[in-house]
Amino acid sequence: MSTLSEHLIEEIRELPAKYPQPRSAVMPALDLAQEEVGYLTAEAMSEVAAALKLDPGYVEGVATFYTLFHLQPIGKHRFYVCTNLSCTLRGANEIVAHVKGAVGVHEAGELSKDGLFSYEEVECLGACEYAPVMRLDHRYERDLTPSKIDALIAERRSLATPSAVEPPHPALRADLPAKRGGKKRTTKGG
Amino acid sequence: MAEQRGTVGGPVLTEWFATPDLHKLDVYESLGGYSALGKVVKEMTAAQVIDEVKASGLRGRGGADFPTATKWSFVPKDHPGPKYIVVNADESEPGSAKDRYLMENSPHMLIEGAAIASFAIGGHAAWIYIRGEYDLPFEMLRDAIAEAHAKGYLGDHPFGTDYPLDVRLYRGHGAYICGEETALLESLEGKRAQPRSRPPFPAVKGAWGMPTAVNNVETLSTVPWIMRRGGAEYAKRGTEKSKGTRMVTVSGDVQKPGNYEIEIGVTYRHIIEELAGGPMPGRKIKVFWPGGSSAKVLPASMLDTSTDLDGLKALGTMGGSGGIIVMDDSHCVVKGAARLLRFYAFESCGKCTPCRVGGNWAVRTYERILAGQGSQIELGILERVSDGLQNGRCLCGLGDAAGWVIESTMRHFHNEYEEHSLHNVCSVEAALVNA
Repeated sequence: MSTLSEHLIEEIRELPAKYPQPRSAVMPALDLAQEEVGYLTAEAMSEVAAALKLDPGYVEGVATFYTLFHLQPIGKHRFYVCTNLSCTLRGANEIVAHVKGAVGVHEAGELSKDGLFSYEEVECLGACEYAPVMRLDHRYERDLTPSKIDALIAERRSLATPSAVEPPHPALRADLPAKRGGKKRTTKGG
Repeated sequence: MAEQRGTVGGPVLTEWFATPDLHKLDVYESLGGYSALGKVVKEMTAAQVIDEVKASGLRGRGGADFPTATKWSFVPKDHPGPKYIVVNADESEPGSAKDRYLMENSPHMLIEGAAIASFAIGGHAAWIYIRGEYDLPFEMLRDAIAEAHAKGYLGDHPFGTDYPLDVRLYRGHGAYICGEETALLESLEGKRAQPRSRPPFPAVKGAWGMPTAVNNVETLSTVPWIMRRGGAEYAKRGTEKSKGTRMVTVSGDVQKPGNYEIEIGVTYRHIIEELAGGPMPGRKIKVFWPGGSSAKVLPASMLDTSTDLDGLKALGTMGGSGGIIVMDDSHCVVKGAARLLRFYAFESCGKCTPCRVGGNWAVRTYERILAGQGSQIELGILERVSDGLQNGRCLCGLGDAAGWVIESTMRHFHNEYEEHSLHNVCSVEAALVNA
């Protein structure tokens, strides 16, 4: 049984035709896989490689290079908090500390108990005029303050009431490997 | 449409920005949008387009400051296969947010510019490589491209002609190095984004091995205006050697951070004190990065420096990507530099040894200094690492930029480095405690 759904693999097989050379499909394909599974498991990457007729090692090499590909489970809502210079000058470190306390985690990447939240410190998001900023659920949240963070969290918690229809978050699915080993990256190539 | 902050109603790029719903095709068109592309494909030759842009004096706004028309003219005219325009929308330079601002306000402006550029190099497709974090600009561009196709401005017969034009989108996935043009091309081809050795230059062998011109968002967004109003009209703005206007992003310790369109040649004092409202009450500006974190810093005593690009070059720094980061007297330069070195070390792609090793070496040295374990030895290491990172020892400029941060902050603020390194004292923090 495969990790990716059959129709997704079909969709991935059709991607290469959209580009002048088929290899360009690798990132869009990984994107689709990550969206479906929640993060990139070794199995998901192998299946992407097979669908694109690429070497699995090559696909993993691409996935590990870019910060938006996640090789470990992430919260349903991920806080990508900018801590580069412009944001730090305007209180980004305090924002990070507040996020940690508010969702109850100790370090970047750690999942909150309900699986809803995780955070990471990221480099410049290109919205320096709104510092401190973060990316959350595909949108930028700007001019952050502790109370804004609290409101964003409360809003998401209230929407997260368990429903019979909604499948469990991928990070909490028992049929997927819980956590891949691997050290924290310091340099992309190193 | 996102809420926006900054000056609106400026003379060139932001000319129409006060108009609501400018991101919709009918609004953009009602103001004169796509008239330039229509004129170009129906009435002009590629050589005429290049000549008009040449007359404007437009130079690349991504940081390299290279004349746009010259770059286009390097693309071989007799090449039999496809040729590409690749739009660098990977804006990741710390302090720079202007490309996002332009795309969120007027996606059609970029699409029109990219299509004109494709025509000018004899190509039929432009690829916009946009950083993955820019969800909203991506969605706006996607919708705008669909609108332009539906209206017949892009496609097989734009404006009823037989010259196919298309603009395509490709999303990045988080890597500063993709702002470097050859790394961007690698990424676009589905690889790890590691810079290529040059030659061959992209104009000869670029995207998918084909002749390619890589242009910044702001550069191409300026092109429709130049084609509407004429290169000579654009060249009236700016200084003799740096024509026109440009976008700057002001961030950090100022009262009104924002994106502002300036006429090139105004001083940094004008931008920081007038446009961005100056320092916070009771504070004094200490230092500023004139063109993104990769530009060598200037102390507040040099606020009267002009934004003229050649003038900045003479000072050893640059206007870069227009990101002006301002730091006031409540912040420590050593800590600021240490933060930026962490950035450069993390974002090093790892291909060239001086950058991969040097960046991490600098980070560890800064950590020792800030932990109170510094000495004269640490200061010496920083100087040597800074030198080792610079002077073309790597395939791209990332290593140089890291070295410039160390070198320029040490040159202008050696006292702060000495206090930290030799005496374990942060006079900035001490002053705040005593205030």
